[in-house]
Amino acid sequence: MHISEGVLSAPVLVTGAVLAAAGVSVGLKKMDYEKIPQAAVLSAAFFVASLIHVPMGPSSVHLVLNGINGLLLGWVCFPSILIALTLQAILFQFGGVTVLGVNTVTMALPGLIGYYLFGRLIKGENRLISLAAAFACGFFSVLLSGILVAGALLSTGESFTTAAKLILLAHLPVMIIEGIITLFCVAFLRKVKPELLGGVYEKAL
Amino acid sequence: MKKRYNTRYSFIILFLTAIILIGSNGPALAHKVIIFAWVEGDTVFTESKFSGGKKAINAPVVIFDKDGTKLLEGKTDNKGEFSFKIPKVTDLKIVLNAAMGHKAEWMIPESEIREAGPIVEKKSAAEPSGPISVGFSKEEVQKIVEDSLDKKLRPIVRMMTESKNTKPSLTEIIGGIGYIFGLMGVALYFKNRSKK
Repeated sequence: MHISEGVLSAPVLVTGAVLAAAGVSVGLKKMDYEKIPQAAVLSAAFFVASLIHVPMGPSSVHLVLNGINGLLLGWVCFPSILIALTLQAILFQFGGVTVLGVNTVTMALPGLIGYYLFGRLIKGENRLISLAAAFACGFFSVLLSGILVAGALLSTGESFTTAAKLILLAHLPVMIIEGIITLFCVAFLRKVKPELLGGVYEKAL
Repeated sequence: MKKRYNTRYSFIILFLTAIILIGSNGPALAHKVIIFAWVEGDTVFTESKFSGGKKAINAPVVIFDKDGTKLLEGKTDNKGEFSFKIPKVTDLKIVLNAAMGHKAEWMIPESEIREAGPIVEKKSAAEPSGPISVGFSKEEVQKIVEDSLDKKLRPIVRMMTESKNTKPSLTEIIGGIGYIFGLMGVALYFKNRSKK
């Protein structure tokens, strides 16, 4: 899912950087005491998730965990994901420093959208709806990321439909796995710390 | 309350670690693509891989000269390899496009091609060709030596390709996690100070 260095044109890179900066600044404003350790844990999870690979066709895809990041952190997922991506770029050479903005947006934005779409459902009373929403959030975050990556690749002349088809097809197993992981995380949190789901949501609004 | 909170976090960490350990059992393939190229005679061989060892199959490879003009293009075979005859003595930039935004480059400097290639240099007549006795010209001897060196060095070149593809080491992974928690400490510190 990481876009490599030197693939995108300057306007796309700049747009990505500006959007990411905006997201990060909102995220930092919303980051309070309780969010900091939470953001760190999820950032670390995101950081290592990229090492878990699902071999797929000519390429290989890895877990993203942006759904659960967005769901639990809201806007704070922007700084959380930016930090993880920066470290991945420096230590693993995944992506690259110049593409950080674009990569942050393609991964954090779907998380944020997932948070607004499914956050309410997840903290609801009904366990079944909550878990279904968790699965959907994990699933759609990756799906949306794929669409955003395809959109970013448009500027390289790679046609949107081909790129999108390729990315989405390759990420189908990841979507399902992420859906399940998000589901388990939410089920776990509902049991041991329901305030975390509900409380976080109210506060970040 | 604060204590309880902390234990919950450690639960989450444990949970995620468990997922990671289960997940990383298989061959971990990292998300980076590499192309490696070397010259043998008049041919350039390239090998493309995702770090961790998975070959980049059917990926388009484009070769540019030093001015950025496209010289030729091709596709990697099912072993991730692609070879081509040197089209022109110049710096070659080999670009691999492994779709989904993955891209890698390899440069072959002009000097490497000159040294390896049989492209005959116009030697100035003034240069003494040396008193070579056994009927071999200087060039012939040079070519024989180079050919056999190419052959002998091939495994080493391959080994170097392999070693370039090492996946992220444990040190890097743990270091990265350490950075994140260090940053958390810094953030908490500043939050704490601004509150006072």
